[in-house]
Amino acid sequence: MPEWLVTTILILVKLGFVFFLLLTGAAYMVLAERKLLGRMQLRYGPNRVGPFGLLQPLADAVKLVTKEDFIPSQADKFLFFIAPGIAAVTALLTFAVVPFGPPIRLFGREVPLVICDLNIGVLYFLGLSSLAVYGVTLGGWASNSKYALLGSIRALSQLISYELSMGLAIVPVVLMARSFSLTNIVNAQAGLPFAILNPPAFLIFLVSVLAESKRIPFDLPEAENEIVAGFHTEYSGMRFGLFFVGEYINVIILSSMVTVLFLGGWHGPLLPGIVWFFLKVGFISFLFIWTRGTLPRLRYDQLMHFGWKILVPLALVNVIVTGAILLLLNPAKG
Amino acid sequence: MNLYQDIKATAQAYWITLRNMFRKPVTIQYPEQKRVPFERYRARIVLTRDPDGGERCVACYLCSAACPVDCISMQAAEAEDGRRYATWFRINFTRCIFCGMCTEACPTRAIQMTADYEICRRDPLTLVYEKEDLLIDGPGKEPDYNFYRHAGIGVVNPRGQGEEERPPADVRSLLP
Amino acid sequence: MPTLTIDNQTVTVPDGTNVLEAAQQLGIVIPHFCYHEALGAVGSCRLCAMKFEQGPVKGIEMACMVQAQDGMVVSTVDAEAQELRAAVIEWLMLNHPHDCPVCDEGGECQLQDMTIAGGHGIRRYRGKKRTWINQDLGPFIEQEMNRCIQCYRCVRTYRDYCGGDDFGVMGSRNRVFFGRFKEGKLESPFSGNLADVCPTGVFTDKTCRFRSRSWDLQEAASICPHCSLGCSVIPGARYRELQRVRSGINRQTNGFFICDRGRFGYGHVNHPERPRTPKLQGADAAWPEALQLARRRLTDIAAKVGPEAIALLGSPRASLESLALLHDWAKQLGGARFCGDPQPGRDRAARQLTALLGSRARSLEDVRRSDCLLLVGSDPLNEAPLLGLAVRQAARRGARVIVIDPRPVELPCNFQRLSTGPEELPQRLEHLVSTTEPTDDLSTLRTLLHQAERPILCGGGDLLGEVGIRQLAAAADHFGTGLFVTLGGPNSYGAALLSGDGPDADQLCEEMLAGKIRALVCLENDPLADGPQRMARALGKLEFLLILDHAPNRLSRQADVFLPTTTVAEGSGTLVNNEGRMLSFSTVFNPGIPLGISSEGGHPPRSFSPTTAGGEPRPAWAVLAQLRGENQSPEMIRRKLEGRDSRFAGLSLLDPDGEGQRVRGGGHPAGSHDQSFPHPAPEGSLPLLVVEQLFGSEQLASLSPALDAVQPDPQVLLHPETAAARGLKEGDTIALHTELETFSLQLKLNAAMTPGLLLATRLRDTPLELFAPGSPTPCLVGKGGGDA
Repeated sequence: MPEWLVTTILILVKLGFVFFLLLTGAAYMVLAERKLLGRMQLRYGPNRVGPFGLLQPLADAVKLVTKEDFIPSQADKFLFFIAPGIAAVTALLTFAVVPFGPPIRLFGREVPLVICDLNIGVLYFLGLSSLAVYGVTLGGWASNSKYALLGSIRALSQLISYELSMGLAIVPVVLMARSFSLTNIVNAQAGLPFAILNPPAFLIFLVSVLAESKRIPFDLPEAENEIVAGFHTEYSGMRFGLFFVGEYINVIILSSMVTVLFLGGWHGPLLPGIVWFFLKVGFISFLFIWTRGTLPRLRYDQLMHFGWKILVPLALVNVIVTGAILLLLNPAKG
Repeated sequence: MNLYQDIKATAQAYWITLRNMFRKPVTIQYPEQKRVPFERYRARIVLTRDPDGGERCVACYLCSAACPVDCISMQAAEAEDGRRYATWFRINFTRCIFCGMCTEACPTRAIQMTADYEICRRDPLTLVYEKEDLLIDGPGKEPDYNFYRHAGIGVVNPRGQGEEERPPADVRSLLP
Repeated sequence: MPTLTIDNQTVTVPDGTNVLEAAQQLGIVIPHFCYHEALGAVGSCRLCAMKFEQGPVKGIEMACMVQAQDGMVVSTVDAEAQELRAAVIEWLMLNHPHDCPVCDEGGECQLQDMTIAGGHGIRRYRGKKRTWINQDLGPFIEQEMNRCIQCYRCVRTYRDYCGGDDFGVMGSRNRVFFGRFKEGKLESPFSGNLADVCPTGVFTDKTCRFRSRSWDLQEAASICPHCSLGCSVIPGARYRELQRVRSGINRQTNGFFICDRGRFGYGHVNHPERPRTPKLQGADAAWPEALQLARRRLTDIAAKVGPEAIALLGSPRASLESLALLHDWAKQLGGARFCGDPQPGRDRAARQLTALLGSRARSLEDVRRSDCLLLVGSDPLNEAPLLGLAVRQAARRGARVIVIDPRPVELPCNFQRLSTGPEELPQRLEHLVSTTEPTDDLSTLRTLLHQAERPILCGGGDLLGEVGIRQLAAAADHFGTGLFVTLGGPNSYGAALLSGDGPDADQLCEEMLAGKIRALVCLENDPLADGPQRMARALGKLEFLLILDHAPNRLSRQADVFLPTTTVAEGSGTLVNNEGRMLSFSTVFNPGIPLGISSEGGHPPRSFSPTTAGGEPRPAWAVLAQLRGENQSPEMIRRKLEGRDSRFAGLSLLDPDGEGQRVRGGGHPAGSHDQSFPHPAPEGSLPLLVVEQLFGSEQLASLSPALDAVQPDPQVLLHPETAAARGLKEGDTIALHTELETFSLQLKLNAAMTPGLLLATRLRDTPLELFAPGSPTPCLVGKGGGDA
């Protein structure tokens, strides 16, 4: 068997595994969120479809697929068609660079548990998360509806604002790991995770990631009691489903990024690396849901105020302080 | 300190939601588990009969006037004995909001609300109740009241022999 | 003009105003029962107490009994006055049976309102209540004496205002009974007003007993279509059924009351035989098809024979809007023949009146305020009942009333009768004017008319006819009096104004018989019943007959095209009453078969339908506009008519709740016409005069089942001397031979009749219907014969 074929097969297998994991993960994230929110509100949450409501995602999927696919008569049909795709695909693509476990030996060869270990993985992630804005913006614009347009404008400005602080929060990580490759960043945290080494960067990143995911308390783009459903007001059926799935994939991806960048990825005692990784991702995802169950939505001016006047300056200061400390500790390498 | 207060409040909020997660839900699992309604629960409306077995409803239109969603309609008529009754009486339960204003307005205690809250149907037309669907055999609440014993128009007792009435006056009498 | 202060507000009122009225002018509502604007104040309910703080009167007084005077300071909110009012209303409620749920007045009951307004809510008195045995007061009024609070409004209305004498108050102390001495039908033709004036549910409308609550009724200001006076009425409809009519308020025309014909004659709207679908030669058809066919046939005839071959026949019961469209259509067709009234006699009389009335026009209010009334050929209680009521009000104020009429006219007041033959009426009027040869009875009349300050000559259009009206107007000119002439229908005046000097129905009939007219359009009239007698023959010569009507029309099945229209209550429009007053009416409800008829037992259907059963009739103006291929709203029609014809200026600004407005300018008398009888009267014949009757003559009211109970039996009246000369006695069935038909009637003798005259009432659905009202026909009288 030629070398390239084995590599290709391995990549395809990994791709299939990740795809399956992500999609089922996203589906069950929905269920988990509904159940957890229910419990936080002293309800049961969905418990009618299958045991403990475990088949609820399936029922949801069937429902979404069989619903009427409605397109507003004045909509820009082409953009309206592709926008949900952009949202879902950009979310999926990001996972290509996430290392979800230590390399394993398979058929006598070292197989890294990452689909593609790019040496600029961090930049790839930032780039894709910027692209994700298009799905939302185009979807809202193409719907030709007031609410959708308002939602997409909100999404645009919110994502751009918080991307800045998110990027700036990664800079200390890159400084400390001395690499843009995510695998290297994970390996740099073999001792202590960066969350402990640089808690300000971790907190700023966590908040920015919440905002990037457009979830409570930063769900202004789809604030249902202000602008109906924001950018996806006019979407129905599986098109809405793609936006919906995209959002939950995004939650998983962003949790993975938090894990990789700050929580030391797969590193942990006793348990195998891959289990540690998914435990950490699960915890961050739970944090997302917990936040949704706890905090109310921000006002729009508060959102911008918080992003630009608190997070960005804080991140900048953090970059400088981290850089200065690194320079002090390690003057020779500087 | 403001920041401290803010952080403390946020942390408290997170603590409350977390703690709630481990408490028993208050949900009643409806079809399997049924709540026992209170006596004065406001659900399906009925028309009652007076203790003598006659229809209490005199079709005075007050319930339909009081109804905020206009779900009650009827037509009054006069029976041979002078009794005013409803030839037809209709409540559209698809529209009814069970606010109870009709029972409050009813001067004869004819229209009353029962605790039967399970009246969902697939076909809306089956929820349009006619008089024969509404009329029950008993007096319901206030079992002793009969409007016609008090209203002096003489249906259940001859004129002037009601409970608070003197015998009919004789206009030609010269007695004081 | 005293100025007084009520609740710190100052108001200046005319002399003779009482304090209650002054307070009402300020918008202050004080509970009251016995006071009524038309009846005045008697101070019997003791409810309108106010505190007089300063001025000529001091202390608590009944506001309705105190004349407003300068310097009065009055408080309605004074604690003492309020306490008194609360106590009085509590006393009034002592014997009230509290049976509002089964009382028809509930919801529009002044007692309910005033009890709450007076501050009485909970019954404290534990004693027993007085009860009564009720009377059956006939088919119109239901009595429930237990509810009575002794405000005396009913007696004051029935006896004082309306002049009835079979109803009154009996008994003493707290046993005061309002009713008849013996059970029986109320005889006054104004008995229905008891239901309106009674502040509580003692007297209610029997025809709509237990049908609806006032809040469920669709009501709107409308005009009574049953005579030419144009009384303001408020019809109420529910479930697509016109359920009752109550009196509206128009101080210039009817005031506050209406007659029983107007109140209970509403049944024609709900009539089960009312045609509700377009018909093509009797077969039901759809609107577009029927409209298209009618339009095509008419344009064909206009193109083939010429527009003069089309005749458009209006009706005095059609609205001004539809008549104006019809009139305009005649012009649009290039000169089709237009006539506003199928009855030539009435038509010519109305046109003569429009030409002569001018500034002599008087309203009913002027009649009520007149001090000398001469009625010529007018029988108000049968032809225009509210005129009789107005005459009574004038008489109550001291006016002299003189009647010149061949009929045994009755009025609800004292009057002087000068009997005369129907054909001598114009001569009598001529004698009245000519001062050269004074006859005895007329000379006093002349003096009276000269002395009076506000004399009015009243006439009946039917009996006077064209010539008589000319004479009456001459007399009015001579004496400088007002003129008040009743006409045939609610819009006779409007139809006459539009007809101008055009042809009358007789002329149209001749042209139809001669074959000059090939097509006839009848707007809301039944030419067989109301047209000239030759009409039946003439109709056979037609190529095309189009009928628009809302009443069961004899021709609806024979007509080539029949189009259903709406009644007055179902549409909006304008009617011009007999004094030239334009009165507009608004839509009460939309047409449809009443629920009580359309579904089993009145039970509404359980299935949904996007259309209303029987909802096809359209307003006549809309149908005419569609026939002309246009789409017009009544506002557009009114504005166009105003622009075209300055006599109707102000038409588009009329308010249905207002008092209406007189037309500006008169009409034309009809062209000259040969009035002699076609054949000389046969030897030994008597003139048969067929006249209108209160119930049974007017077409729409005769369709009302509520009036069936009071429908008179057909009979013929004769003076006892004339009867004796011919060996006839009361109760005989006599055969009447006229050139038109032979029929037999029961004979009744009346000493108040003019000798040598046969008098019969024009009852619908009898042979008498075919006679033109008011013009005598020679008639041979024989004994015996079958029933009429």
